[in-house]
This record gives sequence, structure tokens and C-alpha cells, in this order.
Amino acid sequence: MTVAFPRWVVVAGAALVAGWLALDALRQAQLGVDDAGLWFVVFAGWIAAGAVVAVSRWPERRRMALLILWWLACAVADDVGVAWPGSRIAATIFLLALAVQPGAFAHMSLAYPSGYVRDRLDRWFLVIAYGLGLLWELPPALFADPRACSGCSPHAPSLLFTGHTFDLLPVGRVFWTGFIALGLAFIALLARKLRHSAPGALRTVFPLALVSGFAAVQFILLRIAWLTDWNQSLSVLDWIGRLSLLTVPASMAIGVATIRRDRGAVGDLVVELGAAKPGDVRDALARSVGDPSLELALWIPAEQRYVNERGVTVTAQADVSGRAVTIIGTPDQPLAALIHDVSLVGQRPLLEAAGSAARIALENARLHAELQAQLVALRASRARIVAAGDAERRRLERDLHDGAQQRLLALGLALQLLEDNRGDPGLLAEAQRELQAALHELRQLARGIHPAILTDHGLSAAIGSLADRSSVPVRAEISDARYPPAVESAAYFVVAEALANVTKHAQAQSASVMVTQNNGHLVVEVSDDGRGGADPADGSGLQGLRDRVGALDGRLSINTSATDGTTVHAEIPCAS
Amino acid sequence: MRVLIVDDHESFRRLAGRLLIAAGFAVVGEAADAASAVREAASLTPDVVLLDVMLPDRSGVDVARELRTAVVNPPRVVLTSSRSRSDFGAGFSWPEGCDFIPKHLLSATSLGALLVEP
Repeated sequence: MTVAFPRWVVVAGAALVAGWLALDALRQAQLGVDDAGLWFVVFAGWIAAGAVVAVSRWPERRRMALLILWWLACAVADDVGVAWPGSRIAATIFLLALAVQPGAFAHMSLAYPSGYVRDRLDRWFLVIAYGLGLLWELPPALFADPRACSGCSPHAPSLLFTGHTFDLLPVGRVFWTGFIALGLAFIALLARKLRHSAPGALRTVFPLALVSGFAAVQFILLRIAWLTDWNQSLSVLDWIGRLSLLTVPASMAIGVATIRRDRGAVGDLVVELGAAKPGDVRDALARSVGDPSLELALWIPAEQRYVNERGVTVTAQADVSGRAVTIIGTPDQPLAALIHDVSLVGQRPLLEAAGSAARIALENARLHAELQAQLVALRASRARIVAAGDAERRRLERDLHDGAQQRLLALGLALQLLEDNRGDPGLLAEAQRELQAALHELRQLARGIHPAILTDHGLSAAIGSLADRSSVPVRAEISDARYPPAVESAAYFVVAEALANVTKHAQAQSASVMVTQNNGHLVVEVSDDGRGGADPADGSGLQGLRDRVGALDGRLSINTSATDGTTVHAEIPCAS
Repeated sequence: MRVLIVDDHESFRRLAGRLLIAAGFAVVGEAADAASAVREAASLTPDVVLLDVMLPDRSGVDVARELRTAVVNPPRVVLTSSRSRSDFGAGFSWPEGCDFIPKHLLSATSLGALLVEP
């Protein structure tokens, strides 16, 4: 959710902060407190310019702008103590501002450019940074009385002052060491952020990260100087600090400029998409937002799923860390989803602009992908049909070889023996048994290949015969009507396979077969009262039926539950 | 000639046995799979093993190779199959020193003719 925040509030805030800084600088220059008054004037000008640029040219970045202002407010609030040196409230604000400053700077830097800190490590770091800052200023707030020091400003203790004072230097040393570690960790996080950025986002992130790195180095060196009492370097380090802070608004302006330039790339995208073939839309989008890893997922409303441009199902979820999803269209009616590097989240408006520009191309790509998805399904079912055919032939060969052929071979041997032992009645009987068995097996086999009863007497008779042979009692309701051979054949095998499953797996007491004609479709339903558990993905039988029915533009569905048994429902178009 | 018949089809073993006995062979044993074939061959030490190429547990070809490597008096191995030799294709590696008779050509005469050769 974006916070509706009037732009003028941010601009006014920036102006206020800048004005305060300028006045303070002038006053300090007059008083001769600080010889760098002029620097502060320049600094204030830059900050004002940066904040205004950030807001006016970057209206979607209100959250980021607020973070920048938050840091600026912390940076200037310590001047409250200088402005009212004798005020205890001012002294408290001064200490609080000092405490929050490191955290606020890191917060702004790590949240740039989106204004959000999503990474868990970054969040923990900020908690520690803010926490350490507050702890650091707690002892001075409780036990320091600046009234004892002549040159100190502010010249008042904080509101929390206990009345007791003691030497805080040893405590300070501990905290300085902690802050040095914090600074190093911050530099490591910056490096990590840069390494994980997509090239497109890197252009925006790099300038501020560089400046933040410099600021962190200065922050660390300053504390080393305090620890080692190396006071000669202090003024140099102050200068380095000012210099690096001075470049913060500039670096943000550069970052903003790259986003402006990327918006220009969206313009190029429109031109490029005009010439793009379906299938090239992803590449064009990836180029225009600068993320080679960008994936395009197109929404197929009829099937309620996302596919890529080749028609393969994809999930539009950022399930892998480091990835994020931007939906093009509305959440209710998505057109497509862009799955991209998480560092581009800060550039969501760019992604959305690119998506909008690509809307027509995306529509085309979606139609194309829908077609591709159908082709993929068709290829898969064709491959399965061929494989099922091969498996069936192998099974036939094996059945013939192990069954009828063995019987006939034995018969041959028996006949050879009979030739030598005329009149052996046992041998003759054995030869007859083998012959009968061979004939029986051949009949079984022929029925499995294509039942003659189906061709000769139709579906009703063929299913009646299946029901008679089933070991589970079957109630069958079928009219005597005849249908095209392919339809009868498909319906017959649906019933045969379903009844075979009932016998083999369902542990059912009874089963029923209903064949009706409805709206130009032959509707076949086989249900049982067994324990359910039928799964088309499990064996090839049900999947094979689905392909067989699908080849006739029909549909096959399976409902299965432990309480209501299994129902196989097929609808096959029949032109009659 | 002492013969061991190895085949997973019971009716084939029985009828082939009777055919060979009628022709004067001594059928000393039967086996229905590779494991028992190896065991029986070791204990019975037959002169000839009539061995089906396709057994339920292992390939008859493997069994033939194993039998031929027996240290003492390896038996002669005659492989049989309901397929003919050409069904196995040119690339099929027949075990060395073994003969082959398709089942539909099996008779006392054809087996005898094969065994007369050294």
C-alpha cells in the first residue's frame, strides 16, 4: 500500500531543513564557532536541491523521500543544542539526534531506491545500528553535565540527567569500538547489495552506495582517531565527512537521472515491440529494464494458470529468494507477471511502465502462448499415445509368446510322441488339452485387441459381456443405439479399464455403468462403492483413457474419495 | 547321454523329457529357473543341458556361460527358444561352445545329430 502523502509537505519539510541549516551556518560563521560556515551553506543548498529533486521528479518515491528527510532531520537536529545552548530540552534533542544519526543514514542508504528494507539481514543490521546509537548516548544523557565545561555547546544537561557525574571516556571507548564494527558491517552490506543488483538496478544504486561507503570509511576513521587520541587528523576527517555528505544529494540525483533514462528505454521498447515477433517480448522487456534474468509469465484466464512464451506452465511467485514479481494488469484480471531480480523492486514504476507499453505485444504473446500451451499438451498426449501403442504391442508379443505359442509347441512335441507311441490315450488327451488352452488364450488376446462383439453387436452387448465377466457385481444401463466405431471403441475401453480397476484396486461391493446420450455427447459413467484412491498420474491406464477420449475432443474426469468410491465420467462428442 | 532339461513351462519339460527318454536319452533332472538349473547341474553333472534362452530369473545365456566354466567336465549346453535364431538378431552374443535348437524343430533326431558332432 502506498501512503498518500501530499507532495508539498515533503517540499516544505526539505525547505525548512535547508533553511535551518543555512541560518545555523551563517550564525556559526558570525560567531566564529566554526570556520566552515561557508561549507555548510553549500551543503544546505545541496540537501535542499537533492530532496526537492527526489520528490518532484520522483513522485512514486514518497517513502524514500521521507527517509531522506528523516536522516536530514537527524543530521541537523544536533544544532538545536547550539541554537539554545542553555535549554535542557534542546540538549536532550541534541543527544537523541546524535544517537539516531548513524542508524538513519544506514536506513536511508540501504532502503534506496525503493524506500523499503526487505532483506532480513539489512533489517537486523538497522535494529542493531539504532539500538547501539541509543545505548551510546544513554550514559551522557544520565551522567554528563556540560555546565562544568566552558566551551561545550549545548551548555545544559539532558532531561534525564541524574545529578551524578563520572568519567565517561572508558564507556565511550567501548562504544567507539562497537561503532567501528558496525561501520565495517555496513560496508559489507553495501557490497552485498551491489553484487545482488541486476545490471539495470545497479546504475541507480551504485552512486549512493559509493558515497555511503566513503561516509562509512570516514565514520570508522573518526572513531579510530578518537580511540588513539590522534587529534591532528580530526579536522581532515571532518572535511572528508563533509565532502562525502555533500555528494549524497548529487549521487541521488544521478540515480534519479538513470531512472529517467530508463524511462526513455521504455520509449525505445515501444518501437522495438512493434517489430518483435511473438516469443521475443521477454527479450525486449529484459533489455529495456536491464535485467537479463527477467522471466515473463502470461496469464491464461481459461485455464487459470501462467505460462511462459513457449506455453510451458510457470508459477508467478517469488519463491526463490532474490526474485520478485510485478503483476501487469489488475490483480483480478492479470495480463502477465514479470518475475525479476529483487533489486528492481525499487524500479517498480519502470517495470509497470514497460509492462503498459508492452500491453498489446503482451496480449499477442498471450494468445501465442495459449496456442503453444495447447501444442505442448497435444505433443505430450501424442507421445503418450505412441508410447501406449508400443507398450501394447510389447504386451501382445509377450502374451503370444508365453501363452498360445508355448501351448502349440507342447502340442507339437505331443504329436511327435504320438507318432512313435500310437494308441497312448493319455498323450492324445494331453494334446487336446494343450490345443483347447491355446485356443482359449488366443480368444482372450483377440478380445483385448478389439472385441468382436463390439463391432458385431454394439456397445450395449459388449459392455453387457464385460459386466458378466467382472468378478464384482455390475449394474449396467445402456441403450441399444449404435454410434461411430471410434466413439463406441473409446466408450468400451473406458468401461473396460474402469471395471478392471474396480476389480483390481477398489475393494468394492458393487459397481454401476451408465451410458446415456446428452446434447450430442455420449456420456459414460462408471462408479463403484469402493475405497477410492484412483489417480490418473499413478498408472498409465487412466491417463491412456484420457488421451483416447481427448483424441475425439472428449473429456474424462475422475472423482475419487475414500467414502464415496470412484466415479469415472467421460463425455465423447458423437455426431448422431 | 544324461540330460538336464531347464525350462519355465512345465508342459514343455514333461513332453520334451518323454520324447528324449523314448529316443534312448537318460533325463536325469528338470529345472524351472536359472538358480535351480545351476544347482542341479552341479549336483547331477549331466552330459547335456537343454536350456531355455529366457528364464524367469536370469537370462539362459548367462546360465550357459556359467555352466561352461565349470572346472570338472563342463556339460554340453544346447539352448532352446520358442523364437528362431534370426529373431535374436545379428548383434546377439551367443555363448561360446553352445548349440541352439528352436523349440519347434526339437526332436530326438535333431538333438542327437547335434550331439554326434564333437
